[in-house]
Amino acid sequence: MKMTLKSRLMRGLAVTVPGLVLAGALSGCATPPPKTDKADYQAYKQLNDPLEPTNRVFFKVNNVLDTYVMKPVAEGYVHVTTQGIRNHVGDFTSNIGEPARMLNFMASGDPTDAGTSLVRFLLNSTIGIGGIFDPAAALGYPKIDTDFGLTLASWGVPAGPYLYLPVFGPSGARDVWNLPVEWVATPMAAAPASTSLTDFGYAETGIDLINTRAEYLQPIDQINATALDPYATFRSLYRQSRASQLQQIKQRDKKTWPDWYHHPAQ
Amino acid sequence: MHFRRFFLGAVASVPMLAMMAGAAHAQAMAPAAAKSFIQQSGDKLVAIVNGDGTQRQKATELRDLVNQIVAVDQVGDYVLGRYNHVATPAQKQQFLTLFHQLLSYNITYQIKAYKGVSFTVNKATQQGNDVLVDTTVTAPDKSPADVGWVVEQDKGQPKIIDVIVAGTSLRITTRNDYAGVITDNGGQVSALLSAMQNQITKISSSQ
Repeated sequence: MKMTLKSRLMRGLAVTVPGLVLAGALSGCATPPPKTDKADYQAYKQLNDPLEPTNRVFFKVNNVLDTYVMKPVAEGYVHVTTQGIRNHVGDFTSNIGEPARMLNFMASGDPTDAGTSLVRFLLNSTIGIGGIFDPAAALGYPKIDTDFGLTLASWGVPAGPYLYLPVFGPSGARDVWNLPVEWVATPMAAAPASTSLTDFGYAETGIDLINTRAEYLQPIDQINATALDPYATFRSLYRQSRASQLQQIKQRDKKTWPDWYHHPAQ
Repeated sequence: MHFRRFFLGAVASVPMLAMMAGAAHAQAMAPAAAKSFIQQSGDKLVAIVNGDGTQRQKATELRDLVNQIVAVDQVGDYVLGRYNHVATPAQKQQFLTLFHQLLSYNITYQIKAYKGVSFTVNKATQQGNDVLVDTTVTAPDKSPADVGWVVEQDKGQPKIIDVIVAGTSLRITTRNDYAGVITDNGGQVSALLSAMQNQITKISSSQ
């Protein structure tokens, strides 16, 4: 029954998020500079943030949510835990995301990385006691991050306009599809429905949010304190980070010829 | 989650937040020399941050060190970007003055968080005329962060012109930050200068 609720929530998200984008598109678009002003117009196109007024509203909303909810909770969490505990919590939640990474690597045609994700999940779920420890990294299988947005990118889908989502934060017209996929691509979603499993899923999501926010406490404080325009700063960091992730995947998982295949003349 | 490495790296590299630059016609930098330069500069930085001096003393020492090892003026030119052609000579001069000030205030703001910091220099890679030196920065109660330093030869001296954390360039980030202020104010460089001045006033009053 509760898995049904979860499924509904997931479907709701899949519909709601693009809906929000559409609402934003209708309600608050940035006014482009005239094409005659070449430098400004080029900069506007390069920025690719036509929904900036709406995005900035959501940015403010998230800041309020963060100030009164997420940040105090994360500070309390840091107060009662050590860095070691937080690292293990991070390893545990990361391990749950490993099957999704494997599927994404397979879908994007990166078999080596998909194999690494599979080995990591098997090793860390067993020897690593359910992912609390990360022995796979020590054995030469370090974590490699990916998601559905990067898979779409590997298929040639452009990043599209920048989006700043309520609750979820920085995203884009392509990357936003990562949300529903990430929600469904977990071992819990694949297992037979049960109340305890559903509760575990909620708890895991909650602890992941708090643990992640705790890790970012100081950096976010620092950006908010030193940036002149934190919205523009986060936008820039998000885009650079995504471009870098994509580039790293392309560089790392080079296609190789099987040993039995005669290499064509170069 | 994919932001984790960036954020952790950002923490570690904050003292260099505004150190970004980009001289186009520099001499080629040798990787070994760049590596040695980063090792020496990092040792000095760590010695100041972990030293027993007061916050004020540390701030002064860090400001002097930054002026020695970072091409601050070139960074400022890069950060101002296309608005270099829009700003009047007086505005450009004021921008550079404020940029120097803001840099030292931002560094001072972060000193406390870095007590106990250490770093390891890894490899150096040639990138055109510049060299990217990879380091791992470690601080108590924080995960190790990979931070890259872009070094160029400037008038015969090695200088830092950018800091790279998880694929994000701090000089590009700052340029976009500043451009955000200008575009939000109808393309007026004076708005950026006011914002910088306000930021300096805000940070200095909180210290």
